[in-house]
Amino acid sequence: FRYTRNLVDSGNGKFNLMILCWGEGHGSSIHDHTDSHCFMKILQGNLKETLFEWPEKKGNGEMVKKSERVLRENQCAYINDSIGLHRVENISHTESAVSLHLYSPPFDSCNTFDQRTGHKHKVKMTFYSKFGERTLC
Amino acid sequence: LPAGLAQWFPALEELDVSGTGLAELGAELLALPRLRTLLAKNNRLGGPGSLPKGLAQAPLGRSLRVLNLSGNRFAEVPPALLGLRGLQSLSLGGNRLHGIPPDIQELRSLEFLYLGGNFITSIPPELANLPSLSYLVLCDNKIQSIPPQLAQLHSLRSLSLHNNLLTYLPREILNLVHLEELSLRGNPLVVRFVRDLTYNPPSLQELAGRTIKTRNVPYAPSDLPENLVRYLSLASNCPNPKCGGVYFDSCVRQIKFVDFCGKYRLPLMHYLCSPECSSPCSSASQSSTSQSESDSEDEASVAARRMQKVLLG
Repeated sequence: FRYTRNLVDSGNGKFNLMILCWGEGHGSSIHDHTDSHCFMKILQGNLKETLFEWPEKKGNGEMVKKSERVLRENQCAYINDSIGLHRVENISHTESAVSLHLYSPPFDSCNTFDQRTGHKHKVKMTFYSKFGERTLC
Repeated sequence: LPAGLAQWFPALEELDVSGTGLAELGAELLALPRLRTLLAKNNRLGGPGSLPKGLAQAPLGRSLRVLNLSGNRFAEVPPALLGLRGLQSLSLGGNRLHGIPPDIQELRSLEFLYLGGNFITSIPPELANLPSLSYLVLCDNKIQSIPPQLAQLHSLRSLSLHNNLLTYLPREILNLVHLEELSLRGNPLVVRFVRDLTYNPPSLQELAGRTIKTRNVPYAPSDLPENLVRYLSLASNCPNPKCGGVYFDSCVRQIKFVDFCGKYRLPLMHYLCSPECSSPCSSASQSSTSQSESDSEDEASVAARRMQKVLLG
């Protein structure tokens, strides 16, 4: 009922390679990347990426959008914490989308941000499946 | 659709005619007795006669479980499909719907309903009468409020409300105990604590009625004119569980904030018998702000911890 993260390869502990499956209307929260490199490639459909500035330390206002773009099939994108934060969404109401993600070094928690206030909240990230097997948690 | 479709393929269970430019689905479909899934996305359906007459009564009407009409031009939910009592999944995403018909409640087997990307402005309370509804998508519409009856959707596991015009949610939303996912981003949700949105001072009749009820002043039908006896029987209890007060016509809509995700505050609409109502109903010269804030966090903290896991950013 929300997008799924499916681990494909954990690369000797040096990286995580995963496939994300986005149903119609599915989107992520605004999140950071815990000091890692993040590469993303669209395998099917389209995904909208909205970049945000880091909120001010005392942040108590709406977060500032830097830019947004729609990534098409086979397009790639890169982000890390020095570039900023982003939200990724499948804005189609008719097509699902699939993306390939490479994170190096791997990380299993990150911060999510409330767009209206800039407040952040640490979350643990989970996998819907690992190496083709459904994880139960 | 080719004539004689049902004679050629009587065992057909899944048919996908998406992206074919069809302006209508013809009667050729009606005789397919095994068809469970019909996908007709991204076509030119939407005008009168888009769906064949007698759909619900035909063999197709009994077998159909999944119907996807997203990306078409429907301006209203086609009445022909409201009789599909076996339908489990319906998508009308990305059409031109301005509303949802109350007769949607006829789709008794519906588990999955996708209505994202339309122009829907309000939700009929009858939507809550769908006993099996688990997944409800209303994102990218023009919805201004959610009827509290939606809390009766006991099976609801996922509710998508992002990118609408919501400024608050009814507090009943906390009653959806099976809800696992809730998306609210892109709504003009009120961020700061707002008191006294609208408060019409109670009439003398109301004040007298409240006093009689809360002080348990005894009265018999012979003591009062009939209309006042009836009036007294209509007293509603103040929804603040710590307040023993009652109200008749006059109540305060007050936005109370429930803490989710730590500092994230979600505006829920509370109805209280007066702006001073906090706990326990009395003379209350106490500073109402801090008192009512901590009360609201008290009563909502259990539900809030549950919702904290549920709210999608």
